[in-house]
Amino acid sequence: MAVVKLPALLAREAGGQREFESDAATLGDALRALPVRNLCLDEHGELRRLVNVFVDGDDVRGGAGLETPLRADSKVLVVTAIAGGQSSR
Amino acid sequence: MGVAVLVGTRKGLFVLEGDAERRKWKLNGPLLTGFAVYHAIRDPRDGALYAATNFFGGGTVHRSSDNGENWERAEELGLPEDGELKLNATWHVEPGGNGELWLGGDPGVLFRSDDQGVTWQANDAILNHETRDRWAPGAGGMCLHSINVDPNDPKRLVIGISAAGVFRSDDGGESWEPANKGTAADFLPDPLPEVGQCVHKVLVHPAQPDRLWQQNHCGVYRSDDRGTSWERLDGNGLPSDFGFALMLDPSDPDTAFTIPEESAMNRVAPNNRLGVYRTRDAGSSWELLKNGLPQQAWVGVLREASAWDGQQPNGLYFGTQTGSVLASSDGGESWHEAARWLPPVLSVETAEWP
Repeated sequence: MAVVKLPALLAREAGGQREFESDAATLGDALRALPVRNLCLDEHGELRRLVNVFVDGDDVRGGAGLETPLRADSKVLVVTAIAGGQSSR
Repeated sequence: MGVAVLVGTRKGLFVLEGDAERRKWKLNGPLLTGFAVYHAIRDPRDGALYAATNFFGGGTVHRSSDNGENWERAEELGLPEDGELKLNATWHVEPGGNGELWLGGDPGVLFRSDDQGVTWQANDAILNHETRDRWAPGAGGMCLHSINVDPNDPKRLVIGISAAGVFRSDDGGESWEPANKGTAADFLPDPLPEVGQCVHKVLVHPAQPDRLWQQNHCGVYRSDDRGTSWERLDGNGLPSDFGFALMLDPSDPDTAFTIPEESAMNRVAPNNRLGVYRTRDAGSSWELLKNGLPQQAWVGVLREASAWDGQQPNGLYFGTQTGSVLASSDGGESWHEAARWLPPVLSVETAEWP
């Protein structure tokens, strides 16, 4: 099973669970199965801005995005972009 | 039941529980840490808390049915998939006249929920308003920040969007008509346009719902015909035409309170004298209320960061970007600091608290 790791805020919103196992074929399917899917993905089903995802060390925005295939031993790291103190308001 | 002040901050929600005199305040929180709470209310119909919560990725809404111990997040909230716009932020939650809830957001969008905030439907008539191409975002984004429901007829709504202006509906949001005649937009080629005004706050007086008060980027206004026409009031003794905060007295439609700021360029108290200005004659004259407020302060107060409680006498509350909450339990005659050193205050609301 692939493993999806969440940052602290999303983990809390997922009921305190930081890691999720997934047998999804693609990153998009794995994220859509999470209880925090609507915090990772926007209403168009795209990755939210300032949410970055690395699959086995590679930033998916430079690659296949949500279509990135997952292997049985893939490590998916969801992180919040380092926005340098940019205010949310 | 006592009075509580719900204080939304850049870093979570705080609840100030007042004693019987509304002089001493017990600080609870922060709740919803990790989220900027642009606005929070306690729905008087069922006691549920709702918060417009924003994080690094966007905006959502949280609900609590146990006074903030546990929170649930909206399951469906967003703009239609076949459109170009996406929801950038959530700004204001308002109970409707029946079971419904209204939610304002950026980019100038309105949502309705009929299931206690689990799912939200975008209001088509605002989303596709014929004047939308003349709307523009202000410094705080294109926020729909004011939602007023007529207490006598829940189909009569008045909203404010910055910088699009005031809009009103008589049919529960099926259609919206601009209500900006006579309000200025000095930053546009036509200074008195149909839409495009930067309304900072618009309020309907609950006892006289045809009377509207407005603090705008360009002036303070009153309307006695539900926004068909507006009278400008800031020449009548206010130190500035600029500001955000606006408070009312539910027992007197002629009374209103503003907290002026020096100018759009310098958004702090005029002459560094933090003061609340009160009119009791429908805006013909204004007096400075300063008893208990700091003599020197370089602070600003945001558009959602003031409220009243409607008790006798009326309690008034506002929060500063420096993290203080100032309170008056005597209609503004005297003020005390109810909390300090909070994160920057984004919103203040009052609630009856068990």
